[in-house]
Amino acid sequence: MTTEVLLDTNTYLRLAKRIRPAVGRQFGQVPYVVVILKAVEEEVHRSPRLRFRNPWFDEPEFALERQAKQSRLSAQDKQDMKLVQDVLMGMVQLDVDKYTSHGRSPPGATDCWLLAYGQVKDAIVVTDDLGMHLLAAEAHLLVWHGFELLAKLRTAKVVGNELIREIYDALERNGDLTQTWREAKHNDFARIFGKRPSA
Amino acid sequence: MQRVIHSENVKTAIQAKGWTQKELAVQLGVTGQAVTNWMKGTDFPRPDKLLKLATTLKLGFSDLVQVPQAAQPVVAFRKKAGAKTKDEHVIKAMTMGALLKALVPYLSAVPQLRRQVPEPSADYAALQDVVSQVRKHLGLGDGGVLHYEQLLSEFADNGAVVVPVMWGALQNHKNALHILLPQERVTFIFLNLDTHLEDFKFWMAHELAHVFTPQLAGKDEGEDFADAFAGALLFPKELARAVYSQVAGQPLAHEAQVLRTAAHEHGISLNTVFQQVNGFARSQGLPALQHVELDIHKMRNAHRGKLVSETLFAPLPPPTSAYLAASERVFQSDFFPALRRMVRDKQTGAGYIQQVMDIPMQDALALHGELTR
Repeated sequence: MTTEVLLDTNTYLRLAKRIRPAVGRQFGQVPYVVVILKAVEEEVHRSPRLRFRNPWFDEPEFALERQAKQSRLSAQDKQDMKLVQDVLMGMVQLDVDKYTSHGRSPPGATDCWLLAYGQVKDAIVVTDDLGMHLLAAEAHLLVWHGFELLAKLRTAKVVGNELIREIYDALERNGDLTQTWREAKHNDFARIFGKRPSA
Repeated sequence: MQRVIHSENVKTAIQAKGWTQKELAVQLGVTGQAVTNWMKGTDFPRPDKLLKLATTLKLGFSDLVQVPQAAQPVVAFRKKAGAKTKDEHVIKAMTMGALLKALVPYLSAVPQLRRQVPEPSADYAALQDVVSQVRKHLGLGDGGVLHYEQLLSEFADNGAVVVPVMWGALQNHKNALHILLPQERVTFIFLNLDTHLEDFKFWMAHELAHVFTPQLAGKDEGEDFADAFAGALLFPKELARAVYSQVAGQPLAHEAQVLRTAAHEHGISLNTVFQQVNGFARSQGLPALQHVELDIHKMRNAHRGKLVSETLFAPLPPPTSAYLAASERVFQSDFFPALRRMVRDKQTGAGYIQQVMDIPMQDALALHGELTR
């Protein structure tokens, strides 16, 4: 029995190009398996800028892998997810103030759909979105930051230190390094990058 | 927002399952007293229990939580021709409204004394009277050309925040979106700049009518009045009379030419001129114009002119800074200054901008970057 690890759009775009193969791969003792929802596909295809910034997304190697490993949802799953998504979105609207402060954004429909998948299918959602993390914490749903997935892949020896360096380099180069990834660099990956130099 | 469980719906759902409140409490892992307190409205479930309650009883959010009517946004779309409003459009607009509440404290003081049409009517004489007063207030005579910029101060003076957006010329379902927050007494009016100038002007006038008639918000009569008001404001009785007198008894080609000239001079659509002149004729018991509506639409579609975004920003797309500057200077909008104050004060993420403006995330990131610079 595997536990699905569901990547949100940004996490997929941050990691999938370098960790090959990413989708459908089992890792760890649980074991975990990385899955992608159609909603991610649609989100990228809706945004010309995302497509422009990630031209590899539609290359056959990646597109076919996503299609082949896409998680299939039954009608009942979809109905249950719709209900959970609706309630999660309502919860955000009850507390807009909380979701618009401290670097957070209110989770939108796609974000809540991913979290609903996590709730209905007992899956773990991987996202760097702080609003999603707060909502998941409030609703007692399991979420990881992207760097947590990377750390687990490292423990499972799916990725090595060199690849982690490459990923960090690329994120820094693209100005895509979030605060949580920055902090993890000298905590979770201290063996690679060393402890944070004291100020 | 006030939080109260919809106790009647919960009771019905419990009964349908053949449970007692106590059995529900066991299912949720809470005490019976906790459920009693939720049902009495003296307490509200924590988020994880709310979700469990929803999934256990199969109740959606609106069935589970009572939201006072006054706290709910009222939305109205100005749709593209042929576009159908689906549930997903309404849900998205309502979500935008709920999220915009967080921006309201950052707006400059919203005027409380506002112009209102107390008894809106699409009756010809009554409507002409109303638009005549509005035109006078704008410093325009009955025959003057109305420019959209002249309407902007009316929005600000009446508690409406204009949000110029670039939603594209083709893909989007709507060309304008009106979100009224009744409790906050603020209206956000999203206007798509990727539209033809003649349509843009009409929609602005249409939206202004909504601002003047908050009592009709969300009702069909409100839409009918807004359409009638917009046409009359852009091409009132005296102009319609002048055109009618020029075309009466003249050949068809002459009529077409006169209508086109009037539309061009006023920067409005041929259809607006046509409708207003025919409205004038009806009010006076005179024969209608020789053209029929279908001819007018064909003629109009052949000459559509430029998009507002092209006239403002060519070449498109504009740099983010130019877009923000136009929003503040041309549209006198307090939206981005308020948003700037909010993201700086609260450290709001870019996803908020993406959602309240219904734009792609990459555009939201660019705006967020500019607003936090």
